[in-house]
Amino acid sequence: MFSSSQIDASVFSGGGFMPSQPSQLANSTPSPARSRDTQGLISVTVKQISEASQSGDEKSNFVIDGVDVTNVKVVGTVFNKNVRSSDIRFHLDDGTGRVECIRWVTENLDTREMDALEDGTYVRVNGHLQSFQGKKQLSAFSVRPVTNFDEVTCHFIECIHQHLQHSKVQSQGGGLSQPQMADSSLNTPVRGASNGYQPALMNDLSIQYSADGLKGFDKLVLNYLQQPSNIGREMGVHVDELSQQLKAPMEKIKDAIEFLEKEGLVYSSIDDYHYKAVEGC
Amino acid sequence: MDTTSPTAFVNGGLLHMHVGRKVRAVIQVTRSDVGFVMGKSADDRQLVVKGSPPVPLTSYVEVIGVAENDNSIRAEIWTNFGDSFGMSYSRLNLLDLFEPC
Repeated sequence: MFSSSQIDASVFSGGGFMPSQPSQLANSTPSPARSRDTQGLISVTVKQISEASQSGDEKSNFVIDGVDVTNVKVVGTVFNKNVRSSDIRFHLDDGTGRVECIRWVTENLDTREMDALEDGTYVRVNGHLQSFQGKKQLSAFSVRPVTNFDEVTCHFIECIHQHLQHSKVQSQGGGLSQPQMADSSLNTPVRGASNGYQPALMNDLSIQYSADGLKGFDKLVLNYLQQPSNIGREMGVHVDELSQQLKAPMEKIKDAIEFLEKEGLVYSSIDDYHYKAVEGC
Repeated sequence: MDTTSPTAFVNGGLLHMHVGRKVRAVIQVTRSDVGFVMGKSADDRQLVVKGSPPVPLTSYVEVIGVAENDNSIRAEIWTNFGDSFGMSYSRLNLLDLFEPC
């Protein structure tokens, strides 16, 4: 049921935090939308839900930040609670928007759980994203009142964190394309909650990770070889010099050179120990 | 699905960017009076919140309302956030966590 490439990352991608293994994920997922057999719970804001696109009619799954999403967690206040015979409907307002939630009532436990919630109560809703008559809805399987309000802060931090993780994977999986950090869903959830979190921080991260698919160290070697003083040297740069200047072991230098040579970015000059960067790159 | 009236989270420093719009903020109550509450925002600035606070009022309260100017909010909705909001880490001695075994 689980293919080996899904075990490493997707098993842990459920509730809360993603493991930070960008190079592994980039290799095992060629397609932009990662579909998983395991259904995780993603923390989202209503604004992210409203901007989610659907990934194909058969699956009726939603895609947020390039990731297939069915189960979500939202934290907000209850409004317009409407008790009916088979279900209880209400709107959840989390400051970024309102989404309609339906809690199907089958046993007394469900009814009692919902009775305690009045309009204006902060709740945490775990549910299944659905689309009905063109409108997005949340079919809630758990609606719990928030007792410790640090949960509200924590939820928004989780939304931001998961968004960054998924966007980072998207930009690395896309290879040479520039990461799309300018999407508007960033603006509303990112607010000065308790520490003045600013959107500018996201831009720094995007610059850090948009290394054209090259890992940090390979880039260092390439940068050194691309320096004008080194380009000008007819004989090229000896690997010993690279090792000394970059303070790295010979093994690492050799691996980087091999990779760069394969990419067509460097070439060996007078012998196998001297390398030069390809000009005009 | 309605995202037409978002309320931005603000602290004292951001309030001036949202004057006239709906905002939400958590403040630590320093003084409570008839018709208004004085409190400290998350970035240690004094804010005045006008309206009728709930009784009893806890130390931390979230207010949702319209920003009047860069240090006052006219609150419509008040939510008590308890007495120990965001304070769970200050009670731990973080140095204990990082001492070598």
